[in-house]
Amino acid sequence: MKTRPVIAALAMLALAGLAAAQTSALKAPVASKPAFLTTVGQSADIEMVKLLLDRSAVPHKDNPQAKAADLAASGAKTLVVVLGGSTKGLGAAGISADAEIERARALLAEARKLGMTIIGVHVGGEARRGQLSDRFIQAAVPACQYLIVVADGDKDGFITKLAGGAIPLDKVDRMSRAVEPLQKAFK
Amino acid sequence: MDRARTTVPRRFAVAAAAVGFLLALQAHVPAQPAQTPLNLYGRGATGAHGVVAAAKPEASRVGVEILTMGGNAVDAAVATGFALGVLEPNASGIGGGGFMVVKLASMQEAVVIDFRPTAPSAARPDMYALDERGRAVGNASVEGGLASAVPGEVKGLLYALDRYGSKKLTRAQVLQPAIDWAERGVPVTVNLAQIIKDNFGKLSKFEHGLAIYAKDGFPPEIGDTIVNRDLANTLRLIQARGADAIYAGDIAAKIVAENRKRGGILTLADLAGYEVKVRAPLTGSYRGHTIITAPPPAGGTHVLQLLNILEHADLAAMGEQSTATAHLWAEACKLVFADRAKYSADPDFVTVPYAGLASKAYAKALADQIKPDAVMKNPAPGDPSKYESGSTTHFSVMDRDGNMVAVTKTINMFFASGVVVPGTGIIMGDDMDDFDLKPGSVNSIQPGKRMLSSMSPTLVLDPQGRPFMALGSPGATRIIPTLAQVISNVIDRGMPIQAAISAPRLYQGRTGNLSMEGRYSINAYNGLVALGHTVTVNPDYDAVFGGVHAVLFDHAAKLLHGGADPRRDGQAAGF
Repeated sequence: MKTRPVIAALAMLALAGLAAAQTSALKAPVASKPAFLTTVGQSADIEMVKLLLDRSAVPHKDNPQAKAADLAASGAKTLVVVLGGSTKGLGAAGISADAEIERARALLAEARKLGMTIIGVHVGGEARRGQLSDRFIQAAVPACQYLIVVADGDKDGFITKLAGGAIPLDKVDRMSRAVEPLQKAFK
Repeated sequence: MDRARTTVPRRFAVAAAAVGFLLALQAHVPAQPAQTPLNLYGRGATGAHGVVAAAKPEASRVGVEILTMGGNAVDAAVATGFALGVLEPNASGIGGGGFMVVKLASMQEAVVIDFRPTAPSAARPDMYALDERGRAVGNASVEGGLASAVPGEVKGLLYALDRYGSKKLTRAQVLQPAIDWAERGVPVTVNLAQIIKDNFGKLSKFEHGLAIYAKDGFPPEIGDTIVNRDLANTLRLIQARGADAIYAGDIAAKIVAENRKRGGILTLADLAGYEVKVRAPLTGSYRGHTIITAPPPAGGTHVLQLLNILEHADLAAMGEQSTATAHLWAEACKLVFADRAKYSADPDFVTVPYAGLASKAYAKALADQIKPDAVMKNPAPGDPSKYESGSTTHFSVMDRDGNMVAVTKTINMFFASGVVVPGTGIIMGDDMDDFDLKPGSVNSIQPGKRMLSSMSPTLVLDPQGRPFMALGSPGATRIIPTLAQVISNVIDRGMPIQAAISAPRLYQGRTGNLSMEGRYSINAYNGLVALGHTVTVNPDYDAVFGGVHAVLFDHAAKLLHGGADPRRDGQAAGF
């Protein structure tokens, strides 16, 4: 049967492919529990990331409008920031895009000062890109030590370029698959 | 050489390598192509016999199916309406209500069926605690039980079917396509996937919604389907028992129980007492065309008022997307919205001077206030009383006999209150937020009152009095200028209906920035800024400007043209 070796080769290649797909950009966990969750851009994606952290068994507190002063009181060792903007979210929060960027910069600086690990998560896909979202992504990504991105949101390589090879970045094809890299990121 | 022996394994090896490579990339490639660039093709449709234009292609096809079965435009509209409650669950459904304008060829006058929800009997003007920005504390007017009014959808649609349907089709036949879609599953489009993500927090607060609108606890992805068997069963009960299936008995008890569990005040008596109101349409004209639209508490008065103001300018000569044209639209919108805030409300509770608001003379007085070289900063409402002379998804259906139906219906915000009544698939509306939450306004809350709406289903007759257009839109207050712009695009610029719908839009409230889609002329933008407007540039195709679905009758060609909005999932169907 000449097809058997071919099928075997196919299966091996498929397995190799899957293995490659599941390879993490992280060689070891970078973050400690518990986490503190906030947004950079006030998008509703924070609700999905809450769920991802729950599924990853990462205890967390959240505040979409957290201020720098809130971090020390939270006792968290890791700051998870949800990347991407929402006009509706900003409106509901009563905050301008400029003020949101200022809030994020102060928060990220405080997290670095407190020695927290910063993880950036972009789960909104292509819809959470564009002029408004990109401003928030640009402001937050350089401060991150690890990035998890739903691939659709980085079709143009914008986030990859911002990470610049220096910040480990993992892409997943569906939001629900972000659980695995999150689990691997935490000790 | 045996070619097959050598090449087949190579082909397999190449294929295997390709599969392996693709699998390796699996985590980096989206499962479905996103809807970019925006899909502009296939939105419109043409038919000689009938056309339905709705916010989902499947819903439009439901309407056409009913027409091909021998139903009339009302049968098709009712079937499309129930199907949209399944196919576009974020926008309308059994927990909400709306307005329908019907003009059958046999009718001398059109009729407006008002099935807008009403405030519960226990509602009070000060029922919401307000924060410093005047919003309900804890989002109580938009989320949870207290956000819901008494829904009108089922009574409204069935009233239309019973009173104006062809009687050739049974209620069971008209509801069956909606049941089929609830069981088959609603396709999750780019648009719907994003709406669910945006409202996931709200749905998560009231767990029964997640049972339907989440997959393994996460928002569904593009290409998934959402099956809603509970809703299918509820629709079956309506097939069998009519409106009583919702407004009395087990389902009513479940609605009341869940509403009250979530902090609401609905009672069984509220549901049993809900009444459809049949209103005379508001009729006016625009450049020789007759405009027939829905009066208060709907928003048609202000569509007509806006068109009346614009009629004083030669828009065709002023040019498409010119500074002067955009300035005129913006200034006229300010005046219209100033009046709307002061005067419009449920006419069963307050006296609305809608005849004055819609009068040509009053419009002339308003038009005279608009200066071509100055921007109004804080326009005050006018005094329409002296001109009185004694008068969120939208779909349209027209057929070759000239029967016209325009329906706009809503559950208000996307996914409404977030409360899903367990075992029924019904999402309860959050229409209470459309009241003025502060006591003392014409639109303040009162028991049994209907909240003000911008929904403006509209019919247009040509200068010969023949059926010309049926149209409407979702989009909150944007509905009013959006509809006026589409009507103007057709009448002033001769655009085909699809082009008129797709054309870039602008919006101006009484105060605040002038918003315009990114495709609007850069020269107009620069001109407007120079005039003193503060302009916000929105995305090129922005759903915030509504979703117009319209049908236009080309009498010369004896063809009906349907147009649907690319800003959402609209697609027309015809036969």
